[in-house]
Amino acid sequence: MTRKINLDLSSVENREMRLGSIISWDGSASELAEASNYDIRGQKRTGEGGGCAGKKGPGCKLCELNMPFNQQTMCNHSIVGCQVGNIPDCILIEHSPIGCSAIHPRFNLGYRIGLMRRGKEVKNLQIVSTNLLERDMVFGASDKLRRSIRDAYERFNPKAIFISMSCSTAIIGEDIESIAMEMEGELNIPVIPLFCEGFRSKHWSTGFDISQHGVVRQIVNKNPQKQKDLINIVALWGTDYFTELLKPLGLRVNYLIDMASFDELAQASEAAATATFCHTLGSYMATALEEKYGVPQVNASQPYGFAGTDDWLRAIAKIMGKEEIIEEYIASEHARVLPKIQELREKLKGIKGFVSTGSSYAHGMISVLRELGIEVNGSIVFHHDPVYDSGHTEQNTLKHLVDNYGDIEHFTVSKTQQFQFYGLLKRVNPDFIIIRHNGLAPLAAKVGIPAFAMGDEHFPVGYDGIIRVGEALIEILARKKFNQVLQRHVKLPYTDWWLSQADPFILAKHPEILEEGKQ
Amino acid sequence: MTEKKKVKKSNSIVHSRYGCAIGAVNSVAAIPRGIPIANCGPGCADKQYFMLSFSNGFQGAGYSGGGALPSSNIGENEIVFGGQNKLDDLIKSALKIMDGDLFVVLTGCAGELIGDDVGAVVKGYQEKGYPVVYAEAAGFKGNNLIGHEIVVKAIIDQYVGDYNGEKEKGLINLWFEVPYFHTNWRGDYIEIKRILEGAGFKVQVLFGSEAKGPDEWKGIPKAQFNLVVSPWVGLETAEHLKEKYDQPFLHIPIIPIGEEATTAFVRKVVDFAGIDKEKSEAFIEEEAARYYYFLEHFSEFFSEYWFGLPAKFTTVADAAYNLAITKFFTDQVGLIPVRQIITDNTPEKYRDRIRELYRNISEGISLEVDFIEDGYQIEAEVKKVDYGSSVPLILGSSWEDDVVKELGGILVPISTPVTSEVVINRSYIGYNGALTLLEKVYSATVK
Repeated sequence: MTRKINLDLSSVENREMRLGSIISWDGSASELAEASNYDIRGQKRTGEGGGCAGKKGPGCKLCELNMPFNQQTMCNHSIVGCQVGNIPDCILIEHSPIGCSAIHPRFNLGYRIGLMRRGKEVKNLQIVSTNLLERDMVFGASDKLRRSIRDAYERFNPKAIFISMSCSTAIIGEDIESIAMEMEGELNIPVIPLFCEGFRSKHWSTGFDISQHGVVRQIVNKNPQKQKDLINIVALWGTDYFTELLKPLGLRVNYLIDMASFDELAQASEAAATATFCHTLGSYMATALEEKYGVPQVNASQPYGFAGTDDWLRAIAKIMGKEEIIEEYIASEHARVLPKIQELREKLKGIKGFVSTGSSYAHGMISVLRELGIEVNGSIVFHHDPVYDSGHTEQNTLKHLVDNYGDIEHFTVSKTQQFQFYGLLKRVNPDFIIIRHNGLAPLAAKVGIPAFAMGDEHFPVGYDGIIRVGEALIEILARKKFNQVLQRHVKLPYTDWWLSQADPFILAKHPEILEEGKQ
Repeated sequence: MTEKKKVKKSNSIVHSRYGCAIGAVNSVAAIPRGIPIANCGPGCADKQYFMLSFSNGFQGAGYSGGGALPSSNIGENEIVFGGQNKLDDLIKSALKIMDGDLFVVLTGCAGELIGDDVGAVVKGYQEKGYPVVYAEAAGFKGNNLIGHEIVVKAIIDQYVGDYNGEKEKGLINLWFEVPYFHTNWRGDYIEIKRILEGAGFKVQVLFGSEAKGPDEWKGIPKAQFNLVVSPWVGLETAEHLKEKYDQPFLHIPIIPIGEEATTAFVRKVVDFAGIDKEKSEAFIEEEAARYYYFLEHFSEFFSEYWFGLPAKFTTVADAAYNLAITKFFTDQVGLIPVRQIITDNTPEKYRDRIRELYRNISEGISLEVDFIEDGYQIEAEVKKVDYGSSVPLILGSSWEDDVVKELGGILVPISTPVTSEVVINRSYIGYNGALTLLEKVYSATVK
């Protein structure tokens, strides 16, 4: 089998090159699933067939709608900060001017809540900025980096140090890899260079891969002693619902990467399996651990809704050799939650929802809403991966959604572009939105639509997740009163011309409109 | 006396307390119908939003900031082949899509390092009469306070332009707190405008809920003078305006808090302007009467509370808030300042003047202020202080949360970042704000 992930290299190939990921598309979910050609791309990933990916095989190319207008978004440098910057006994050094570290107070909020959710000591995060200035751009900044690495070592006594590259240090050609090697020799702890400059990938999710790559390459135990009851869950900051869900299978959960200690990361290679709440997030790490250390990854969609959770539990039971007990567990869980879910379906009758989250997470989220009888005929994903790193067809989450829960008429790929959101909402006129990432909810708020900010990403997981979401939605829908007040009194920052456009992608299809002069 | 120790010099910063120059996109968003355009990588403007708005009292980004903010999101292609075409597309489409009256392009690190000629792109629009200006605001140039002044100057030079007309007596341009960065700026602008108008002035506040948009900026050259109410931010602007429009300025480095300071402030501005004193004195009388009505009530709590009140306090904040709040508690409330740390990387040339203000903070009290930006060192310094027999009071940022817990103290957030409070229109300055500040500190005490 060809290796999909090359751990010999310090840098990661971007998602758009590796997977053919796109950030701008409009159509139905079934069309996107078909155009993605997951299976054929998957063969390319696994090396089992001819396959194709990205530019190499025009038959597989996903067409993108290139818009001339963009609004601010996140970058993969940010993602690295909220991944390896959230390891309590390791330190991240951001080799950059101070502005690249301006999001730390926000990350600190998430980190502290995450520590609390996992029962760990709640403390501020510690990320070091090398704080570069204009003269460093001219004369280079390697000595400042060395100095910050030593500062980090003396101040915090970390078990490993990560270094993240920024736009400016990448452009001036800072050699963080050589410095990392040199300092690793001096300090005798792993020093891990991460090539995550903001301009590098068109989507921030490449930052997940970069973080995971560094952890698997330089922290994970290279001589693993297998722990048969340990399962890796590649996660973010979510509440620990997985322990309960996996208890009947006798599994202990090892969450990666946020809030995990160095030792918890190191034992990732010792686990019996790797799973995740979101393949967009977890696929790279799961595949790397599978290839390098033979840790099998769960070959299923994701644990959302009945169909997704059933399949997911079965796949884990298969790896663990516990197929004999799983059907009984699934049946008893269905019986347990169904009455409550039916009650919620009654209460939520006639309600329309809209999901705008990261890619495969949205697929799971829509499943949960449809289990609750909520109509979903519009959704945004912030990017789309036509295939995941594993290439396993069972992980095709979009197809799983369409096959089990039906099509979504308006399924849009748009990277938190608020100006498009108005038209997208107008097409389907939902009663609420479910949202992750910032930038979009404020617009929904001003057009009368309340937002459920899904801050605890594990909230919808499993059978109980369906109930949790249903109950929370009833509370969210009450806020419509507030949003209608706003709608009556607050103006949007867009021209009437733009707000009157029926197609939020019109400028990609007809760029000549811009040549007509202002209004 | 406070124990002094020479701080070890290092470039490293942990727990940063400001954004970078591109953070001034928020200053543009603070101008009604002003539209910032970030010409930088993806992530830059987003990060600044999180430092200056979200993690700073959850202020919200308003009309054109936050998710609405146009950005070129420079990618690998622009790094290799240049970003001018992409920027041109962005400006062209922003003019069509965004409903605004002034568009300000701020170029960040990537754009500046690859050497795009942003000026040439923007000039094309200026020549066609579009209200577009550009500013070089790369993060390596300095923090968001520096960026704020770069942007203000760009708007004055490229949008306001030349003026040879009359000046209007009693009309003031206000150069005051930095929008979004100063956590209470929205409420503070309301209070200071209320005070100056009460004293008989007309005020061009330029930013926030009381501002009038780009037209008000066009009126800048007509003002009788520029009023800088800040230790250092705004001075470059005032110097520039003096040069450009032959406009004098009055510099009041300490933002007034409390009746005595605010009344002195009003009289100073009135004297400088030479306007009639009748209106201002009547205003002062009314304000003072109300202030002491409330202070009298408060004084009962202050003198009778059995269960302990803080006595010694530390301030950790940017120069403007640090100076104003230290002065108020030292000079008007009689608390004992034990450690003052300024965190905004005040340019070296202003530091001595600021040190002098601390040395004369109140009769019989002389303070030595520290300038430290690195949170690791700041928190270590806060911890080292001897707070005596009463509960330590720390007026700082949310980064001080852990160290204040260790000290068993009270943290009242006054400086960026603030993640434990939601701020809407409150103010801690002037006549009304002082009472709110007392409420805040002593509510935290009795909690």
